[in-house]
Amino acid sequence: MSLQDFCHQLNQLAEEASSAFSNATEIEELEAARIEFLGAKNGRLKSVQKLMGTVPKEEKPKAGQTLNQVKTSIQDGFEEAKTRLVSDGSESGVDPTFDATLPGLGRRLGRLHPISQTINELTDIMGRLGFSLAVGPEIEDEHHNFNSLNIPNDHPARDTLENFYLVPESERTKQLLLRSQTSTVQVRVMDATPPPIRIISLGRVYRPDTADATHYPMFHQMEGLMVDQAVTMADLKSTLRMFATSYLGDEVSIRFRPSFFPFTEPSVEVDFYWNGQWMEFGGAGMVDPNVLRSVGYDPEEVTGFAFGLGVERLCMRRYGILDIRDLFTNDVRFLRQF
Amino acid sequence: MIVSWNWIQDYVSPTASMEEVVDKLTMSGLNHESTELVMGDSAIDLEVTSNRSDCLGHLGVAREISVLFDHPLSIPDPHPESIDIDVSTLLKVEIQCPDLCPRYTARVLRGVKVGVSPAWLQEKLATLGLNSVNNIVDATNYVMMECGQPLHAFDLAKVSGGCIQVREARPEEEFVAIDHKTYALAPGMCVIADADKAVALGGVMGGSESEVSEATVDLLIEAAEFTSQAIRQTARKLKLHSDASYRFERPLDSHGVDWASRRCCELILKLAGGELLDGVIDVGETPETPGPVDLRFAQIPRVLGIDVPVDETCRILQALGCQEVSRDAMALKLIPPSWRADLTREIDLIEEVARVYGYDQIPEDVAVPMIASHYSSRDRTLAIVRQVMTSLGFDEAMTPSLVPESWEDRFTPWSDAGSLKSQQPMEGVLDRGSQTAGPVRCLRRSLLPSLIEARRINEFRGNESVELFEIAKVYLPRKGQLPEEPLLLSVVSETDYVTVKGVVETLFQQLHVSHQAKILSSQHALLDPTRQAQWMLGETVFGWIGELSDSAMSENSLRRPCAVMEINLEALFEYVQLVPQQKVLSSFPYVDRDFNFIVEESVTWAELKGTVVESSGDVLEHVQFREVFRNPERDGASKKRVLLSVRLRASHETLTGEQADKVCQAIIESSKREHQAELLG
Repeated sequence: MSLQDFCHQLNQLAEEASSAFSNATEIEELEAARIEFLGAKNGRLKSVQKLMGTVPKEEKPKAGQTLNQVKTSIQDGFEEAKTRLVSDGSESGVDPTFDATLPGLGRRLGRLHPISQTINELTDIMGRLGFSLAVGPEIEDEHHNFNSLNIPNDHPARDTLENFYLVPESERTKQLLLRSQTSTVQVRVMDATPPPIRIISLGRVYRPDTADATHYPMFHQMEGLMVDQAVTMADLKSTLRMFATSYLGDEVSIRFRPSFFPFTEPSVEVDFYWNGQWMEFGGAGMVDPNVLRSVGYDPEEVTGFAFGLGVERLCMRRYGILDIRDLFTNDVRFLRQF
Repeated sequence: MIVSWNWIQDYVSPTASMEEVVDKLTMSGLNHESTELVMGDSAIDLEVTSNRSDCLGHLGVAREISVLFDHPLSIPDPHPESIDIDVSTLLKVEIQCPDLCPRYTARVLRGVKVGVSPAWLQEKLATLGLNSVNNIVDATNYVMMECGQPLHAFDLAKVSGGCIQVREARPEEEFVAIDHKTYALAPGMCVIADADKAVALGGVMGGSESEVSEATVDLLIEAAEFTSQAIRQTARKLKLHSDASYRFERPLDSHGVDWASRRCCELILKLAGGELLDGVIDVGETPETPGPVDLRFAQIPRVLGIDVPVDETCRILQALGCQEVSRDAMALKLIPPSWRADLTREIDLIEEVARVYGYDQIPEDVAVPMIASHYSSRDRTLAIVRQVMTSLGFDEAMTPSLVPESWEDRFTPWSDAGSLKSQQPMEGVLDRGSQTAGPVRCLRRSLLPSLIEARRINEFRGNESVELFEIAKVYLPRKGQLPEEPLLLSVVSETDYVTVKGVVETLFQQLHVSHQAKILSSQHALLDPTRQAQWMLGETVFGWIGELSDSAMSENSLRRPCAVMEINLEALFEYVQLVPQQKVLSSFPYVDRDFNFIVEESVTWAELKGTVVESSGDVLEHVQFREVFRNPERDGASKKRVLLSVRLRASHETLTGEQADKVCQAIIESSKREHQAELLG
């Protein structure tokens, strides 16, 4: 047999073996192909190998070389097919039953109420500015809700229709009401603690507005109070600017517009300049000397500032909530958005 | 307060544009709401805070502009000519209710010609949105809008007996106002009456009978002062609000009453002719002159944080109408103007200086001293509680503190005393499905009814896996003091008793509460009688866990299972350990042993566990519940098998098999002795 014929037979064998190995889909099928081509006794490679004796002597080295190459390539083809079939039974990474886009098996975590999230953020920022959180009762007497806050007896804010007064236990008992502002906590803290004071009070307050998209008879307020020997309106403005910068994450300007609150003098409305427009923030002012006196502080010794804001309004603006009533309906589809 | 830009020019004409003026007014206390163009004029809507009633007239706003732009202000000085007949010969006035009406003044005009107002007057009123009535009524309205003092013109012929009595309304007294509606009056309201009947509702509205008509010839011009609180209540009770009542609800200038009366009469003489009787009837309190107020210059920087030049301080206060009594290098003594009842103290003057000088002068970048703040252990505990609850898959709910009357007795274990009630109910807070629940006026004693309602709404809306918690106060009445307001944590879940119990146990773990809660049986109608328990923490009632009873399920239209809990966080705060301390761990080998006991159904896990813990001594690392299994055929009825495992480990040595066997023997013997527990296998 000529070298050419020998090589031709070898190459044909290599081709057939390669296709048999790569077409095998079961390990048994591969094994059968292995026996057919690489079988130690009657394998076809063996048969071709035997023909080498008939190749002319001078061409034998070349024939042996080709034989070795083909042998290696057939063996490699088998190993490759074996690895493929043994490893995972899938065909080159394609398993038709595997859908990588199926939803993962996570555990659902609950969500904090958007009001809680807002409160946490406010508390956190004020904490960094040195304000600690103070708490107090939601049901108050007139002394703490009005008198000590410099709200005189004939002030419209005391009107029975403007407040949730409680049905009195008896005629002689003190008139109680649901607090209409968290300033009551400030009074209680000042009553119990000498200056300096730096606190925020945060919590539920109540005013008898009929619930609609922008009103709710219960809402949350945050009020800050700082009293010390030399607290000025410049401190107030600077503190609020730092607060706004922290909250909005950007440099913010502050604007004061005159206003009127019984417990502060001077009193101002506070606006933030952000994103090219002025936004209302809340009310603020210097603690009225009458308030300082009512808690036993000497207004000649100390001054202070106070500010307050509605948490709902801030929260709604932050999350794009349009109807305040959604905050208190507790539809889980709503709650799980935040 | 709507202001006519043209009208303002009568008193002050700044060179600045209207926009500049409006802007400056906003920044000095009169917030600009909107401006509308009305027939060659601008109607500027300014918000006037309740302390600034001086700006409820054009003169007050003009004065502000004059101060802000340092431009002269011209105020009319009315001196109407009168004839030589004294007014008191024709009219008597008596105030019977000085607490409602402290002062009443009246002037009388005769022979006027009622007619149409001139164009200039009609136009000014039209800018403010007021319809022209006739030259007399328009004159009173004009003066009110000029200076803020409401006036009223009566047809003198309709005031019988030539006398005015200012008195309190009688019970169920009827009154027909100029809007031709009949109002039922009540004591506490002030009426202006003649010899027979009420001719006006003092400070609120005139009567239709005595109103000025074309036939009117003689007039009584009233300029009075009424108590603001009484006017407020009257207007509100009758739902009758007028420009007059709006102004009388606020403090007005006592010294301006007579000016307004003279100004009005002067105008009527000009517009309608006639003659003014001499003098004025002025009964009641004589207006008080405001006392002097000291302003120490050093107080300005002390409060504002900036210096204001002394000259500028003096200019501002004087332009506002303060009269300087004395001045030295340190201080100023001033008498505030009578129209500024809000200026009585040094701090009030400082505010005036600040708002006119400009709050924009106050820097926003001073160094505020740094101090440390801290989170209380209460705050930190609550943060952990919220974190645990959301980690366990609960969404946080927030529900109103007041509940309808029909929910109020649904679950009241925290207090036997009936709930506190507010006089007014909360309006608009109930879901459509609960509109019949009654007025929302009970201060809740449990959060559960509110949370169950939230669950109901969610089920109704087709929402699944509704797991909710709320942290809020309840209000428990206490005799003679403020109510107790403990902070509770409540849960509604679609799971069952054990899963919710696991929530509490997880909270204990995360808060490092090592104290064992005691579990007692309980009977609450809201809860399934066989699936509920009360928890004690130390001697304090800690809370309740249970599954809803069938009746509660159907009452609240719930279809899916509902387990609830309510615990008192105040009780928990005492037991939490926020900074846990390390315990040295043993590194010696351990021995695990399982026990399968057959016991009576009545033996609880807590009891069995207690025995195991007690009998195994200090080598017990932990005891774990595995399962309960029942095999009545082999073990007999009312028996159960409890499988538990213990891990034993000594702290300082290797536990030998012999030692472990000894402990196990002790466990088996004690369990048999105390619970008749038989060890299986």
